Amino acid sequence: MKTRNLRARANCDGASRGPGRWVVRVLAALALSLATGLSFAGDEVAQPIEFPHDIHAGKMGINCMYCHTYARRSRVSGIPPLRKCIGCHQSIESVKDKPRIKKLFEYWEKKEAIPFKKVNDLPDFVRFSHERHIQRFYFQLGRPVEEVCGYCHGNVRGMTVDVKVEPLTMGWCVACHQKDHPNGKPGVVVDPARVIYPRMETADRPAQLVIADTSHGPNDCWQCHK
Amino acid sequence: MKNVQRRDFLRVLGWGGASASVGACGFTSIDSGVETVKSYVEPEDFNIPGIAVYYASTCTQCEALCGVVGRVRDGRVLKLEGNPVSGINQGKLCGLGQASVQHHYNPDRLRAPLMRQDGGLKPVSWTDAMATLLDKSAATKDGRFAFLTGPVSGHLKVLVRNATESLGSNQHFTYDPLSTRVNRAAADQLFGAESPRLLLDQAHLIVSFGADFLDTWVSPVHFAGQYARFRRASDSKPRGVLVQIEPRMTLTGANADRWIAIRPGSEGVLALGLANALLTGKSAASVAVPPAIATAAAAFDKTRVAAETGVSEEVFDRLVRLLRERAPSVVLSGPSAEGHVHGSSNAQAILALNWVLGNVGKTVLLPPKLPFPQIAPESGDTASLQQFTAGLAAGKFDTVFLHDVNPVYSAPAFLKYKEIFPKAGFKVVFAQYLDETAREADLVLPVDSALEDWGTHLPAYQPEGLELTLQQPLMERLYPDGTRSVGDVLLELLKRRRPEEYKGFADYYAYLRAALLRNRSAFVDAPGDDEQFWTEALSKGVLRVNAQEQHVPAKAANVELDFAGATQAADAQYPFRLAPAVRASLRDGRNANLPWMQETPDTLTTIVWDSWAEVHPATAKRLGIVDGDILEVASASGSLKVQAYVFPGIHPDVIGVPLGQGHESMGRYADGRGANPFRILDPVFDRKTGELAMYATRVRVTKTGARGHVVKDEGWKSGNLKTQAGRKLVVTVAADKAKLSEEV
Repeated sequence: MKTRNLRARANCDGASRGPGRWVVRVLAALALSLATGLSFAGDEVAQPIEFPHDIHAGKMGINCMYCHTYARRSRVSGIPPLRKCIGCHQSIESVKDKPRIKKLFEYWEKKEAIPFKKVNDLPDFVRFSHERHIQRFYFQLGRPVEEVCGYCHGNVRGMTVDVKVEPLTMGWCVACHQKDHPNGKPGVVVDPARVIYPRMETADRPAQLVIADTSHGPNDCWQCHK
Repeated sequence: MKNVQRRDFLRVLGWGGASASVGACGFTSIDSGVETVKSYVEPEDFNIPGIAVYYASTCTQCEALCGVVGRVRDGRVLKLEGNPVSGINQGKLCGLGQASVQHHYNPDRLRAPLMRQDGGLKPVSWTDAMATLLDKSAATKDGRFAFLTGPVSGHLKVLVRNATESLGSNQHFTYDPLSTRVNRAAADQLFGAESPRLLLDQAHLIVSFGADFLDTWVSPVHFAGQYARFRRASDSKPRGVLVQIEPRMTLTGANADRWIAIRPGSEGVLALGLANALLTGKSAASVAVPPAIATAAAAFDKTRVAAETGVSEEVFDRLVRLLRERAPSVVLSGPSAEGHVHGSSNAQAILALNWVLGNVGKTVLLPPKLPFPQIAPESGDTASLQQFTAGLAAGKFDTVFLHDVNPVYSAPAFLKYKEIFPKAGFKVVFAQYLDETAREADLVLPVDSALEDWGTHLPAYQPEGLELTLQQPLMERLYPDGTRSVGDVLLELLKRRRPEEYKGFADYYAYLRAALLRNRSAFVDAPGDDEQFWTEALSKGVLRVNAQEQHVPAKAANVELDFAGATQAADAQYPFRLAPAVRASLRDGRNANLPWMQETPDTLTTIVWDSWAEVHPATAKRLGIVDGDILEVASASGSLKVQAYVFPGIHPDVIGVPLGQGHESMGRYADGRGANPFRILDPVFDRKTGELAMYATRVRVTKTGARGHVVKDEGWKSGNLKTQAGRKLVVTVAADKAKLSEEV
């Protein structure tokens, strides 16, 4: 009966009830996952304004962090403040009559936030920090922004409204955290007593060479489950 | 059954090996497109989603009015911390203060005004509610309006007074069920200030007659900080010694080096006995002591004191020796000494010891003189509720407003408040919950939580200088269309009644800002322009007032002692005294709907979510009472049923029942829990001030035969390791085995 705790996914129940259909589904699932190598595709989400990432990030080549300005400074990347959209669009006459832009200015005139729907979300017991990932991969390792954001968000240059492209499960996170991402820094001599991770040295051991800045992501439970 | 299990198994299998074809289910527990994420429209630069900012405000959970800073992230207040700028709490905050976020996010908050229609309270719009309020107020004849509030200070007090006056009345009553009026009156007479400044940290000895200054008395967070320094030995002073004298042990008593269980009401006798012993051999001219004290004290020798107080001669001698050797000291008087028919005399005799010992001017100082009497704290008392009730009974009031009080719950049964309340024609109650009083009202106006409201406060106890504390919203209203600030409602009333004076103020915020800016010169360090002053004031949360220092008088004013009734013959019918103990968590019951406070174990008994009656082990043995017996505690005025807790920290003739529980209508966490000892208090009053004598009620205790289960973390029972998983996590030693220091 333990398995009962794992069910109750309302939106998965619904239409196809009955053991027979489940068998079919599972078989199909297994076959497909073998064929595609555990691919994932999120649901299309209806947004109040169908924001075209393909135009902004793709055609115009705007850096992700120009709009998602909080990503490098905070835990969350944040939806850009409405003022940011208006800042550019008040001077872009060519698209002013487009329905999406008209809608944008309607919100602005009402001074009302646009009620976008969350596409990528994590459970409340997971503390994911955009800041740490951007700082490490973009600023420290100098990788291109579309690659860094793309690790989790995929190629938004090919999307209009954002779609979830990765499962964002713990296993998926850990898979990446176990990879080496060398930062090219030399190791530093530190007091082993101060290093809790990755080696559990005891205080009576002499100071030794450890790479304080580990080259792969942290593996402690508490790093994400605070 | 088998079928179900199989299906479950298949489902899990399906999600475990999930792929795109199963509709993207099973990968995470969070789906796309379910929750809404709103951005800021025009944020301030420092507003970054995910990163908290801190705003200064004032904690209004008790009279201490500590400064707080609230941690606010993504527009939600998350946690309060002490404001380091505040001289009162200096960056610290107690559990009750922390719990004020639960008043704010409480699920039982009122979200729409309620009006009595066809006998029941029905939700109405604010527009209708305000229209009714204004019409009914306008129709009230001169002198037939009254306003009952809790303790109030600052600009809200000005608005309350002016609103009352604008309705042609001067009937503003300030009610505090846990009033310290007796203490304040005695201090005023002896030292010339109601709340003298106490330098506990400078003292070498504190003798406290029931003043629970670490937990519930006056300004507990401030005193706890002082106490820590008092206890720390330094080059200039030894480790301080604390002696607590009270019939029922408080947290301060539990921290004391010596705790003395005294016969309730005889505290003044002990104080006079001490004065007598200390004055012996000294010429009257050499000490500045009120003559009446010196005269009265002469009659109280050691033997008489021991007989009347139950404090042994040996303990008395030790106490005298301590007082002689450890100067300067502080002698405090608290509610258990003051809650008697001769409470004022007790307080005066106790506080006069500070004159006898030469503490006045050393550890007992005067606060500066307040330049603005109109915003001075109105600390409230119980006598004002009696006057208000008398007015209601006489049919003097057509319209009454009640704010920050719950007299239907906290008035003793003998006042018959609930029965008399309907005599007022139109009853408006400003409330956060539909509490016992709001339930009886004709119009209930839901007010903002303390974390949504503006305000200024002037703490009655001022530890350094003179601080005016600012209260500002830590977040937007949770129910923007549901609740309003009391200040805004009163201002709207005043705009109608006195348009010339008030039409310039858009709202309560504008009124406060204008009032403070107009008096800028009254504050210390107010440089720059108005905008800079205001921004700085809000970011600090505290304004220091330029005030004239006051010096203690050289000689004490005389007092009139009246100990008639101090020693009463035993009452065969009601042999025990009731000690209605104040808990730091629930206080007068207004915090009973905070689950954190219900869940916080009582400081000494560790009982949670309930009421109990503390019974001395000897008394329990005599009456055959064990933990969990349901007792009937009955006074001449009423009775209540409550579970017994055998507790050694209480005088054998006293039954302690904590205040705060026994709500009928306060919210889901409070209702139907425990018993309310306010109800069974006897009509006994302090002779001088007319205050309700809280500790004078006589009760009898009978076993009902029913049994309850005392839910607690850990008892006093030393060596009982049952709840410590068999491991000696906290090692305890019985009090009689501990080596008390020789001198204490």
